[in-house]
Amino acid sequence: MSYDRPGETPLLEAIELSKRYEDGVLALDQVSFRVAAGEILAMLGGNGAGKTTTIHLFLNFIEPTSGEARIAGYVTHREPLEAKKRVSFVSENVMLYPHFTAVQNLDFFARLGGRTQCSRDEYREALLRVGLAEEAHDKRLKGFSKGMRQKCGIAIAIIKNSPAILLDEPTSGLDPKAGREFIELISSLRDEGKAILMSTHDLFRAREVADRVAIMSSGRLIMDVKTPTLAGQDLEEIYMRYMSGHAASQAVAS
Amino acid sequence: MWRTLVWKEARELLSSAKFATAFGVTAVLILLAFYAGARNHLQAVAQHRASMAENARRLDGLTDWLTLQEYRVFLPPSPLEALVTGVSSDIGRTAEVLGRGEISAEDSRFNEDPIFAVFRFLDLTFVFQVVLSLFAIVLGYDAICGEKERGTLRLTFAQAVPRATYILAKITGSLLTLGASLAAALLAGCLLLPVLGVTLTGEEWLRLAMILLSGLLYFGAFLALAVCVSALSHRSSSAFLTLLVAWIMAALVLPASAVLLAGRAVPVPSVDEVSSQKASFARGQFKDFATAMKDFKAPPDTPPDDIQALMAAFQRFSDSLSAERTARQKEFNGRLNEERRNRLRVQERFALGAARVSPTASLSLAMTAFAGTSLVLKNRFYDEAEAYRARLGDFLKEKTGVNVTGSMMVWRTTDDSETPEPIDPAELPAFEFRPTSWSESLREAAGNLSILAVFNLVCFAGAFAAFLRYDVR
Repeated sequence: MSYDRPGETPLLEAIELSKRYEDGVLALDQVSFRVAAGEILAMLGGNGAGKTTTIHLFLNFIEPTSGEARIAGYVTHREPLEAKKRVSFVSENVMLYPHFTAVQNLDFFARLGGRTQCSRDEYREALLRVGLAEEAHDKRLKGFSKGMRQKCGIAIAIIKNSPAILLDEPTSGLDPKAGREFIELISSLRDEGKAILMSTHDLFRAREVADRVAIMSSGRLIMDVKTPTLAGQDLEEIYMRYMSGHAASQAVAS
Repeated sequence: MWRTLVWKEARELLSSAKFATAFGVTAVLILLAFYAGARNHLQAVAQHRASMAENARRLDGLTDWLTLQEYRVFLPPSPLEALVTGVSSDIGRTAEVLGRGEISAEDSRFNEDPIFAVFRFLDLTFVFQVVLSLFAIVLGYDAICGEKERGTLRLTFAQAVPRATYILAKITGSLLTLGASLAAALLAGCLLLPVLGVTLTGEEWLRLAMILLSGLLYFGAFLALAVCVSALSHRSSSAFLTLLVAWIMAALVLPASAVLLAGRAVPVPSVDEVSSQKASFARGQFKDFATAMKDFKAPPDTPPDDIQALMAAFQRFSDSLSAERTARQKEFNGRLNEERRNRLRVQERFALGAARVSPTASLSLAMTAFAGTSLVLKNRFYDEAEAYRARLGDFLKEKTGVNVTGSMMVWRTTDDSETPEPIDPAELPAFEFRPTSWSESLREAAGNLSILAVFNLVCFAGAFAAFLRYDVR
């Protein structure tokens, strides 16, 4: 299944995207970036930096004050349904229906995602791929750990087979082993040609998996570099330097 | 997609512990209401038969229609009134139809068993008004905000799901699932009736179906209200609290307030006040009657030693005065009754109109209209008893030549050698209570059913509009 419009490379694109909430807070200020097919962009930044707001704008949960978010060329607030057909979302804490089994949850979200003809084997295959043991496939989710739920979340994305994936701090709260497995999965999805935008606090994972690293602060994108350019450098130090530098420039500006 | 969402809603509801508990309680109460209704009806039928037999026994051995005393008519029990009690337990079930006074129904169910008046019956009205509305609230209050709290709403709307489709599927799924579950419980209750020996006519089944339909409409209104409030709230706890307040207002406060308000706005003289006026008028009438009786003079052509002729003349004189007195009293009483009835009608119309602000009142009025236990029942029984008394009077006059509803002085000579023949009770005109017809009931209930339908539409529209603006994050 190919959703790309001919000649359009970036699957995820933010064009001078801004969001000011009703209470006057400027959550996002003229943010622009692109994520191409087969690329992972890791968005770093502290709490309130605007990472989640960016993802919510891509999902049309909120409308931008100005600018555009595009998925495969579709402007999300103008053609939200077309845009959402081409994206999957895994949140920080994947919450599914606790009284449904893993397969039933997968079936439901696959149907919502437009995959109405999936077989049980395909669901099982997706669940096995994300590392969920076979005996858990037909168990209700109410007994699942966070790691298992996150795996189900990524299995939903796999089944949907959308060209773009949005991850909102997906490894937060996972133990190192689960985190590692998750990152490996994301890498494999990138290798399949998915465009992945991932917000995270985890500098180590970001550097390990992302093709590009962006740093956000106070709603602005203050750094966007390719990961290879960071070779031999301490990302944590760079992050802290950018953060403090941006904070200082903000103080001077005010 | 719509089907997927409806199916998910149904499966999620049916697999939840909340549904199992709420439905279990509701189903048990529905079955209990049918069981208790069936038992009460069978008991009422037995009592009715016993009362009728006692009434007939009074006629045993009578050889003269003039000696007939305390003849009564009875309001026959109906299986529907055992299921939807309405006013049937409050009004008297029997009335004495001989004599000049006004018809007065006696021996109401609550009069005989006051304990039932304290706790009332567990009937379908109670189950629908209280339990069904709470069932709808308990299963609908977190329909939207609960999904938001659990985080499933975000994941759902990360897919290409139109909001209108989602909310319509949500409401349809809930309504179909819960409605079907309730319908199954109600059907089981209906099946209990013939099993327990209660037989219903075709029309009674139709009426029962309409009663159940009214209940489901009421349930739909509360479910839509619950979804609407849920779509206006971001926390399920605040949605539940709001709905609880709405339920208290609708089920308890508004109907009672409407009656109180009507009582204040349209004062109606009490029965005692009216009776006192009637008694005062009757005393005056009797005084005049007694004075007039003194003026009796035997007609000039009456032989002075013919006592029979004298008595017959006196009887005619007395009858004539009695008839005048009765006519005047009847006219006076009729006027007072009419005035009271008119005021009462205005008060009732006011109270019912104001109470209909609450769907609970509309449901109650629709159900009692179909069951034939609305406020109409009392007047209907009185009217029927009054009409029967007139027929009975004509019958007795034909048999005896005497107006038994007037004052009498009977002078009769008998021949000891004759053996008087006993009267034949089968000759008495039969009292057959005609319940409100199907078309009358439908007319009476139509307004209330329409109000319930409007409540449904308004709450559905509210839920729809609220969800289109809902923050799904």
